[in-house]
Amino acid sequence: MIQPRILAEISADKFFGRDAELREIERHASSVGHSRGLALMATADGGASELLRQAYDRLFLRRGDPVPIYFAFKQSDASAAGTARRYFQTVLQQYIAYRRVNSAFSRATLTFNDLLELALPADYELITNLLEAFHREQSSETDFINFCFALPERLRAAGRVVFPLIDCTAIGPSREGLGVGQRVAEQLVNYDGPFVVAGLRRQLNELIHGTDNGWDAGAIIRLERLREPAAAQLLESLGDQYQIDSNQVTRDLIVQQLDASPLFLTEFMRAAHRNRTRLNSFLTCQQLYVDELLGGSFKRHFDRMLDLVVPNRQTSRTLLRILYESAMSETRKASLWTWKKRLGLASPEFERVIDALHVYELVNSSAAFIEVNSEIYVWMDYLRAHYRVEVAGEARARVVGTTLLETLERAPQTMTRKYRRDAALGLRDLMPQFNCQRVPASLLNYRSFAAAYKGEDNDTIESGLDAETELIQLPQVIQTAACSSYSSEVSCERERCIVAQAFEAAEYTAANEVVWLAAEIDAKLEADRELTEEWCNRLTMLARECGFERFCIWLIAPEGFSESAGELLKEREAFGSSRQQVKLLSARLQSELRPAEIQADEYEMVIPMGGDTEMIAANTVEKIARRINFQPEAINQIKTALVEACINAAEHSLSPERKIYQRFVVSDDKLTVTVASRGVLPAQITGPQARDEGVKENGGKGRRGWGLKLIRTLMDEVEFERVDDGTRLRMTKYVRRSA
Amino acid sequence: MAETNWEICVQTRAVGEAAIIYASDYLNKLTGERIERECKRQLDSGRRAVIINFRDTELVNSIGVSILLELIDAAEQNTAQLIFSDVNANTANLFETLGLTRLVSLATDEAEALSWVSAPVSEARP
Repeated sequence: MIQPRILAEISADKFFGRDAELREIERHASSVGHSRGLALMATADGGASELLRQAYDRLFLRRGDPVPIYFAFKQSDASAAGTARRYFQTVLQQYIAYRRVNSAFSRATLTFNDLLELALPADYELITNLLEAFHREQSSETDFINFCFALPERLRAAGRVVFPLIDCTAIGPSREGLGVGQRVAEQLVNYDGPFVVAGLRRQLNELIHGTDNGWDAGAIIRLERLREPAAAQLLESLGDQYQIDSNQVTRDLIVQQLDASPLFLTEFMRAAHRNRTRLNSFLTCQQLYVDELLGGSFKRHFDRMLDLVVPNRQTSRTLLRILYESAMSETRKASLWTWKKRLGLASPEFERVIDALHVYELVNSSAAFIEVNSEIYVWMDYLRAHYRVEVAGEARARVVGTTLLETLERAPQTMTRKYRRDAALGLRDLMPQFNCQRVPASLLNYRSFAAAYKGEDNDTIESGLDAETELIQLPQVIQTAACSSYSSEVSCERERCIVAQAFEAAEYTAANEVVWLAAEIDAKLEADRELTEEWCNRLTMLARECGFERFCIWLIAPEGFSESAGELLKEREAFGSSRQQVKLLSARLQSELRPAEIQADEYEMVIPMGGDTEMIAANTVEKIARRINFQPEAINQIKTALVEACINAAEHSLSPERKIYQRFVVSDDKLTVTVASRGVLPAQITGPQARDEGVKENGGKGRRGWGLKLIRTLMDEVEFERVDDGTRLRMTKYVRRSA
Repeated sequence: MAETNWEICVQTRAVGEAAIIYASDYLNKLTGERIERECKRQLDSGRRAVIINFRDTELVNSIGVSILLELIDAAEQNTAQLIFSDVNANTANLFETLGLTRLVSLATDEAEALSWVSAPVSEARP
């Protein structure tokens, strides 16, 4: 059954790509008594308003507490008192609509008398009192505004919980608008119920933290642009709705060119519908695009923003010139001082203009520099075209013609970039999964991989990798970014050349800091020495330029590396993998992320530290180990290892709670024991004594601290997993069947 | 004559020049220190040989092992013999792993250990 629309402008079944966010808002509505405020941070064209309206509709139809309320600030809100009055009426009206189970009341034009008449008998007294107070408070504007914005709290005090969904995305850059938004946010601090505040992501923080009484967002949703599959679905659905002739190729181009923006996609398809344009070739698509850019909805979108930034026409032209010239410069960057001088504005007004441009994401401003945001095609095309018409004074027909030529010439490149992006391995997604896992060394060394597995089927390779004893510990990657974000000197595609900041081991220390520089390189056959060297040099130069003291190069070539290239990689202490190896690595990391051992038997136990409680753990693990037919000797080894792990935890951790957490995971051929405790990380784990000496090596002197060595001797796999606090030791013992 | 030192819960037996100390089921810091104290008491009282009997010992942890090493040192300093007896296979493996077997003799049982008491150390070690 299709959900009927109440406030939503789009039918629920045509609202694509925001399921997760909708569920999050619904969950938040039910979180009475927990985190109260949810901040929804969006781009100007991210569709935050529609998301809130969809959430409202869902909650209205779901019934039960709390009562959803949707309020949107408007750019036309002239005064704080006027906005407060509208807020009061909206909250009351939507409350009554919900109580009457009549969604039509949510969007109807009703008077206060209507509201009183529509109120349920159980609410009549409450509504009467609120309306009386509303009239009474009008004698003082401050009291009146505070009274109106505090309505959710007053309803809460009367036992009616509402769920305000406050849409601040249209507040705009003016101080007055921001001030009113801040007053609502201030009142929500006192509201003892769940609520959502949505706003432009570069403005929302100021909105909610900009006053003395700001609130801390208990949860945050970052509403990015749609993912490409969802954008394609939206486009197809709009095509069906408006009966627009299009094909897969043109739809792909439109999604790329409009940056998967739900706003632009919707406006574009509406324009196609209005103009009866068939979108079945690049030419018709670009003709419509240029029309929208120079006289349609795209023009209106950016005109509106720039009008709000600079209402004065002359200054607006100057701003357009500066924006254009900055965008066309090599770095797209200029100093604030240059901008200020050229705009000729006094400091407060100049700061307001820059803030506004930044909030709308037309530029990125920092303390010293302003950089035009060149990542949005539509914005850059608008800027170029309007500069030529409005500042350079070129004939409009000529601008239309050349813009059309440019966009048509650009289309194949745009699609090529998409195809290459789609075909990329996705290092930006893969590398954040690196978390100190130990993986077969051959996955990062093409020559040894090729020697062992070339020509083998997948099953053989998998079992070969499983049996490998030489393992490499991956770093814990904490942040990834495109190389191009670090340096404009290195020419490479965003998705294919990545800088990953990481820690080499489980401990966050300066000594463990390392940067992985990974690049996918193009080669039809095995990459040769020359190409490999070129990339090694390129990434080494990047590392030097960025001042990375310790770095590690990882090159990926589709078919791997030639023998001489492999030797070079070895000389440079770099890793080299083929696509196949990276896919195998990715699958291994993914399988660790999944609840892989979900079918295995699993036991958990928490013991206090001290008092020989490790023996309780040892006796427990003995019983568990017997279930999978470990030999008595192996059982004793497991028990001893567990005892040692518990002693280590108790002796070294300084755990504040004095507890040891244990998990026993049993599968057909192995038992994995995890021992964790809070507290400090013992130096022996990551320090130079990590491989502690035994009696044999030190002649019997220095007789403590053999626990870890003993554990490593007794168990088949021993690994410290990274945890934020304390340690987590994972030990695995395999069953050896007697012949 | 067998005696039990109940004060520190360590069972001890004297046989001629030797003292036999019985380790408990779990040799850890606490029980190890009890054995250590008893062993030193026996050495101070002039015993020339100490046998530690592990017949009841199921598990020894690394702290227990470190205490045994202290005992080996103490015995050496007193020019006394220290022999471990009745060590089960798992514990023997552990001692082997941690290098104890290079420093102390393991006898199968008390009788064998006692037979080594009068023998020179070099002969006693298998």
